[in-house]
Amino acid sequence: MNVEPTTRFLDLRALAALEHLRFATRQRIEGTYSGRHRSRQQGGAGEFVDFREYSGAEDLRRLDWKVLARTGKAFVRLHQDETNLRCVLAVDASGSMRFGAGGGSSLAGSKLEYVQYLTTALSHVINRSQDQVGLAVLDGRLRCNLRPASTLTQVRRMQEVIAELDTRPSTQLAPGLVELFRQSMQRGVLLLLSDFLVDDLEAAFAALRLFRHRHWEVVVLHVVHPDEERLPDGTAYRFEGLEGEGVVDCSPAEIRAAYRRAFAAHLAAVRKFALAGACEYRRVSTAVSYLTTLGGFLVERAG
Amino acid sequence: MTFLHPWALAMGVAAAALPVAIHLLTRPRPVRMPLSTLRFVRAALRQQQARHRLRDLIVLALRTAAILALAVAVARPQYGEQPLVSDQQPGDAVRVVLLDVSQSLAATDHGIAAIERARTRAARHFRYRPGLRANLVVAGARPRPIFEQVSTNFEALRAELARCQVLPERVDVAAALEEVRRLLAPASAEDRARRELVVISDFQRGNWAKADFAPLPEGTQLQLESVAPATPPPNLAIVRAEAHASGSRGRAARLEIEVGNYSPTARTATVEVTLGGATWRREVTCAAHRTAVVAEEIELSQPGWQCGSAVLAGVEDALAADNLRPLVVRLRPPPAFVLITRQPGSQRPSASHYLECALVPDAARAAGTAPRLARVDPAQADQAALTPADVIVLDHPGKLADETIKLLVDLLRRGRAVVYVAAEPADAVNLKSLANAGGSTLRMAVEFAPPPLGQAPRERFLGFVARRHAVFGVFGDQLDALTTGLRFGGGLTSRGRDEAVRDDVLASYADGSACLLLTDSEAGTLAVLNADLGRTNLVKSPLFVPLLDELVGRMLNRRQSSRAAFCGEPLVARLPVEAGAAGELRITRPDADDVGERGEAFGRLMDEASGVVWQWPAPTRPGVYQVRRDREVVFAESVTLPPEESDLENLPAEVLTRRLAAGRSVYYQSATEDASRRDTVWKWFALICSLCLLGEVAALLGFRS
Repeated sequence: MNVEPTTRFLDLRALAALEHLRFATRQRIEGTYSGRHRSRQQGGAGEFVDFREYSGAEDLRRLDWKVLARTGKAFVRLHQDETNLRCVLAVDASGSMRFGAGGGSSLAGSKLEYVQYLTTALSHVINRSQDQVGLAVLDGRLRCNLRPASTLTQVRRMQEVIAELDTRPSTQLAPGLVELFRQSMQRGVLLLLSDFLVDDLEAAFAALRLFRHRHWEVVVLHVVHPDEERLPDGTAYRFEGLEGEGVVDCSPAEIRAAYRRAFAAHLAAVRKFALAGACEYRRVSTAVSYLTTLGGFLVERAG
Repeated sequence: MTFLHPWALAMGVAAAALPVAIHLLTRPRPVRMPLSTLRFVRAALRQQQARHRLRDLIVLALRTAAILALAVAVARPQYGEQPLVSDQQPGDAVRVVLLDVSQSLAATDHGIAAIERARTRAARHFRYRPGLRANLVVAGARPRPIFEQVSTNFEALRAELARCQVLPERVDVAAALEEVRRLLAPASAEDRARRELVVISDFQRGNWAKADFAPLPEGTQLQLESVAPATPPPNLAIVRAEAHASGSRGRAARLEIEVGNYSPTARTATVEVTLGGATWRREVTCAAHRTAVVAEEIELSQPGWQCGSAVLAGVEDALAADNLRPLVVRLRPPPAFVLITRQPGSQRPSASHYLECALVPDAARAAGTAPRLARVDPAQADQAALTPADVIVLDHPGKLADETIKLLVDLLRRGRAVVYVAAEPADAVNLKSLANAGGSTLRMAVEFAPPPLGQAPRERFLGFVARRHAVFGVFGDQLDALTTGLRFGGGLTSRGRDEAVRDDVLASYADGSACLLLTDSEAGTLAVLNADLGRTNLVKSPLFVPLLDELVGRMLNRRQSSRAAFCGEPLVARLPVEAGAAGELRITRPDADDVGERGEAFGRLMDEASGVVWQWPAPTRPGVYQVRRDREVVFAESVTLPPEESDLENLPAEVLTRRLAAGRSVYYQSATEDASRRDTVWKWFALICSLCLLGEVAALLGFRS
């Protein structure tokens, strides 16, 4: 497949090193088409998996007649179906994701830019595996929802949307997730990329648990900027909130320790909520190249 | 509490806002930075807010306190009562500094004499200030102002002050204050300058207890500055040294040395007396704040004027000058008697015979030391007959002529001793005539009168004897035994005079009449024995001869037992008649070379009708001074320190400021209260300032950790 890059966030030369990697799932999924991923269905086709004693309700076509003849007992043959992947990339586009950007409207260096590179690459990798990939942009609500598809057009459309992403001041994540859940009828994999600097952290993970109840595989990618982990050196700073929180004048040296404790508590809380909701948690630092992050992520999932 | 620089307080209050201003002015311009984790910043701030608010409050309080303390320190607070006289007071002022230079200011405390401290304090009051005129009064026995009026020549005043030395005198406080009053008196009605008197003294109890500041001009600011130590330094002194010839003849003398112990504990000292070439040493123990007398009969080798001194050997005390006192005694040659009586010498027994036997004992006559005695009839008692006599004795003289009375009075004034035995009524007339002729110089304690007519003379007994008097003192405990049983016949009655001195009556009868009377009249002494010696058993008593001898001796040596001459106070002495004319005499001091022409350096010798008189307005140095005719000493006098100067006890401040100040506003400053100490509180505020700054640093370090 010849894919010409249509966005600056897609660097095919850099992604060439990841050509051999595929985005794998750790549980069986439901797909529309047959593919490389294990399906929740165990039909008569596919790779043989096991025998099971005939219970009287199964399709007689799956009965292993040779075993019946040899042993006099009825067994049915179990085969693992393989289907394609439906993956939804949910991107948090709230104001806090702009952190790290320089002045003006540029997002260079921000967490959102990092997410743009990462999601573009992910969409490319997933689509290259003939899997369906969709995009959901979240701020205070579900701003954009591109349903999963595997067509090149869909992917390009999605990458364009990613490239045009911008932040909006919002401190709510749960409403967008709930709305996305309502619009997602089929099971799949949900990759949520967010810094989780929201007021409704518990509600957001409650929404993620809805996906898990519907047997979605939820992967939480916690995006952290290194400058968020510690306050800058200096005598006096006027910190301006990115989500309409006002300004705070202070001397960072006086609160550095307390801030560090508070931020560590926030990281721990997000991780705890994620693991408690049976979500996969991965902390993503923007200090690490997105390619390294993506490679590690794919290798780890490939098992 | 007052402040030396009150403007600093206003600056300090303004500076108290300095920390806030510094905080605002030095507040760093904040760096604007968008931050996604503002919620964590706010949470951290909330967590740190209480801690930081406490730290800020502490730092602000300490910093403000440091500035205020610094301001107070610069303002130089001065606590305690403020001096009434100081250079900080503006306006015209007339200032007189009264500097006590009496002997007590030579007392040392920790090696520093009080006069040194006094000079230092006085110098502070002679600094130039516009509108200030001043004068210095050096107060001793006589006040000596440096200028006749107050002056602005402070340099000269300071120079004179530097030359001031302690004088061996006591201070005449009344005279000094009178001089101050004259100097402070306004020159005119327009003279409204403030009057200031600064008294710098040790305020000895003996000198200042009767000080009266009332005569000073109204509104005079009175400042008393004491230079005496808080507790009087211990001092030993010889407060009296006397030697009297015993009796009227012989070389025996009675030595009396009185030692004063002005210390809180009893002390033992050795008194060393040198007199007439001989030396005596005696130990004396003196109780605290008491005096002890060392008395001893001594025998001198030569007659005449003997000079010497009494010294406290090996004593180290606050005042060394009073450990030595000069001593003079005269051992007279056997006196010459003239007995004026109508009784013939051949009449025996008679009163005059008894007198002759008592005055010229046979034993003395045999030894060659007997005095000369001449009987003179009253009608022949002229100047030629009486002048050679040292003692004139009258017994049964009958009515004396007026010329004789006048001659007796004149001789009495010139130092003769007159013993009058009053036995008959005519004697009352003679005694009254003597009293009238003597006038104010002869004031007898009693008035004699003949016994009432028609009353038969009856025997009388002694009712009172002044046993403490020197005349009777030699008899000691035997006096009662000797006087019991004495009967007296004849004589006169007497009546006391209101204004007379009762102590002159040495013995009196049971009926109240005087028996033995001793009256001084200028240089001489009149003794009246009110008894008829022919009708009394006194002449047969062992008391008679020694009593008469002591009486005559006492009268002849009266001059030496009178008040001693003190330094700085006028000395007037009548020389003995045998001294000769003033032109032939000169005054010397044995231990000095400065002999003035006709004794000018040591006073003046003047010829008067009664003899030569030595006048010295103010003796300058203690010691023995001799009047010589050629090489013969005809008179000697000891000039000593006033004994009051030895007692270094000073008056309490309350007495000076309340009782003696006559209601004036008085500032009293003790010697231990240094003026600079009043100004030392600024150091504490500087320390507080430093502590506040250190506390601020500690608070910052503590909260940072």
